[in-house]
Amino acid sequence: MKHVHEQDEVTVRKIPAMRFVAMGWLVLVIVVAATAAWEWRMRSLGLRAGDLDDSKWHWAVERRRLESGDHDGVVIVGSSRILFDTDLDVWEEMTGRRPLQLALVGTNPRPVLLRLAEESDFSGLVVVGVTPDLYFMDRFSYLPQYGEILDFWRQESPSERVGHRIGLFLSRYIAFLDEAYRLAPLIERVDIPDRTGVRRPYLEVWKLAETSADRQHRLWPRLETDLRLRDHARIAWGPFDGSGPAPKSVESAIADSRRAVETIRARGGDVVFVRAPSAGLYYENEQHFAPRAKTWDPLLAETGAFGIHFEDYPAMQNLEVPEWSHLSRDSATRFTRAYVGVLRERYEELRSGPVAHPVP
Amino acid sequence: MVFNSLTFLVFFAVLLVLHRLPFSWTTKKVNLLIASYVFYAAWNPPFILLLWASTIVDWFIARGIYASRDKSRATRRSWLVISVAVNIGFIGFFKYGEFLLQNWQALMASFGIIWVAPEWDIVLPVGISFYTFVTLSYTLDVYLGRLKPIDSFLNYALFVTYFPHLVAGPIVRPTQLVPQFETPKQATRDQMLWGLGLMVLGLFEKVVVADAGLANVADRVFSASGPVGFADAWLGTLAFSGQIFCDFAGYSTIAVGASLCLGFALPDNFRMPYAAIGFSDFWRRWHISLSTWLRDYLYIPLGGNRGSEARTYVNLMLTMLLGGLWHGANWTFVVWGGLHGLYLAAERWIRAKTGVAGDPAGTWNRLALALLTYLLVNITWVFFRAENFGAAARMLAGMFGFAGAAPAVLPTIYMIKAGVIVAGVVTVQWLMRKRELEDVVSRTPWWVTGLVCAAMLFAVIIAQGSGEAFIYFQF
Repeated sequence: MKHVHEQDEVTVRKIPAMRFVAMGWLVLVIVVAATAAWEWRMRSLGLRAGDLDDSKWHWAVERRRLESGDHDGVVIVGSSRILFDTDLDVWEEMTGRRPLQLALVGTNPRPVLLRLAEESDFSGLVVVGVTPDLYFMDRFSYLPQYGEILDFWRQESPSERVGHRIGLFLSRYIAFLDEAYRLAPLIERVDIPDRTGVRRPYLEVWKLAETSADRQHRLWPRLETDLRLRDHARIAWGPFDGSGPAPKSVESAIADSRRAVETIRARGGDVVFVRAPSAGLYYENEQHFAPRAKTWDPLLAETGAFGIHFEDYPAMQNLEVPEWSHLSRDSATRFTRAYVGVLRERYEELRSGPVAHPVP
Repeated sequence: MVFNSLTFLVFFAVLLVLHRLPFSWTTKKVNLLIASYVFYAAWNPPFILLLWASTIVDWFIARGIYASRDKSRATRRSWLVISVAVNIGFIGFFKYGEFLLQNWQALMASFGIIWVAPEWDIVLPVGISFYTFVTLSYTLDVYLGRLKPIDSFLNYALFVTYFPHLVAGPIVRPTQLVPQFETPKQATRDQMLWGLGLMVLGLFEKVVVADAGLANVADRVFSASGPVGFADAWLGTLAFSGQIFCDFAGYSTIAVGASLCLGFALPDNFRMPYAAIGFSDFWRRWHISLSTWLRDYLYIPLGGNRGSEARTYVNLMLTMLLGGLWHGANWTFVVWGGLHGLYLAAERWIRAKTGVAGDPAGTWNRLALALLTYLLVNITWVFFRAENFGAAARMLAGMFGFAGAAPAVLPTIYMIKAGVIVAGVVTVQWLMRKRELEDVVSRTPWWVTGLVCAAMLFAVIIAQGSGEAFIYFQF
């Protein structure tokens, strides 16, 4: 056999001459000490073990529960408001049913609702959280990490499923495992002047919520107490003060919604729209760019669906919305009690038995 | 399964323990083979059938070729054709099917024939371009008389499937790896610790530098829908140059390290490519296992430089164009390969005219030529990264100052981040140009190496990679 190149010969690797064992111990000691110090620092910033982070993997687990029938006949879809503002424990306590939480931060729930209607056999109650600037827009999300999530739950590899479980296990004991406190976002949050026309990464949305099992989200406690973080979050909603949805987008949103409602009702289920509170400048912008009369009211009128708007119920007033878009933890519990109370009155099945058509 | 995942961490720990238990050598190899199949199936189980098919087909064909070594060349060639047809058929169907249909549709349309290609909803099996090249090299080596068929099916299957190189290389040759499977191997303590050190280095390159440091800079610039200004275009491209190097070299370094922990040596796939002086030097340093594969199984069989000067240039261009197409089913990759072919041809012509061989004299001359090479390589990265020619044209217009008053794209912090990291990557490569990592480490005090290693590992931990796939998985 001719040996012309190194590719024709058995590979041999050089090993450096050094004190490997001493180096190994040094690395171990430094890494353990530095990681412990980092964990301490992150806990002092308000992160805690048991905050599981949300992700496409976490969502996929819940989505597959829907497909396999492992649910109590109630599904919540929506954006971050219905996600943060719904207390699943209260739901369960009041109705005996624990909803599947499929709402997703920063997304338009319409595509999720449509797929629920057209690609599943779900015949229970769908609670749709409506955040006007997201529900009536003509795209799914501005967040790249959720770009392909609608199909991901089917395509998730065995390796990703196992990795997700290991990640959840570690998150129960380690606080610094938090998407919002990774190295890259921490570096990018440096507050330095920026170029004209470029939105500073400093103004991106920072950590807003804590997540526990079955995707129960609650507003991060620091946002209720730390004024700097609260004010930052308010400023971060800046992009939403732009132009509202175009009339054509509203029309197509309503048409999609009608199709979904009809399909789900034809199977014996129902759809309810819920508009959770907002406040401050965010609420004013919503009033200006996506007023109720041009969005919410026609949505209910044309779909024939029942809707709960926080403005219509005394029990949903005077709730605390620290950063203008999501309720404080106590207020989320109160809001859940209020809107589930309304639903219980309307749906006998939420008092007992399977969910079906609304009581006339 | 990707190296930068918690799943791999557990998988590898279990495998290391298994490999050190007192089993027979055959049992250990069977463990490794099963583990490699698990590693592959953990991504998409059904596609393991393709891997098995490619493995089995080339096992029998190589034996068929060898058995007919005394028969006519046509007989041996017909065996080879079957192997090439099966392997290239797999890649053709899964990787280029849609591309071929779309181009056929465009061709028909140019003749006024309206034909709409059917929906092509086929998932690309990860690593198919890599393992088919591995099995093909085995059959080709037997056909070319460089190799006898491997006696043991277990050794052969492990050579094809061995998980460190399976999905993104290095594209190993039988001669490099199979003899290592023949006798019992277990990593020494130093090999194990050095292997772990290499894995930390590779993870640092991938998780910290490529993903956390540069990916969003390149993504933001290359996804801009409008014109891109000079600074943004260059920084976006430089960021991608750093990202793709650290992503791919990181993968290869982890592969080498993981293999070393098990007691097996894999070849280097990168040797400081951004310190290359000229393009033939670049291709001796970048994705070495692919460039040598193309040299040995395409360029040389085409005639290499043994024919006329014109024929040599044609061979060079053909090799690089096909090398470009190997990377992806898009004409932008062909242009990427074509540009490299042109660079190599131009370098060859200049060297022939000037009679200059090797590196120029003088550090500044070498540095200037290395920087020129790096800048020209960056032009090619535009085509590699851009989604289409429109996006590439926008980037090139910006890089050559034709974008006019384009709006700013990158935030200041991204510009600082990309500038610092890319300068660091290029400087380190220049300083390491003629050195090997092992020699540098040998000459460095152990505690300095320890501090650097600890810093890298800590950075990996707090960067908390989200298991982003390696770029070369898509090829």
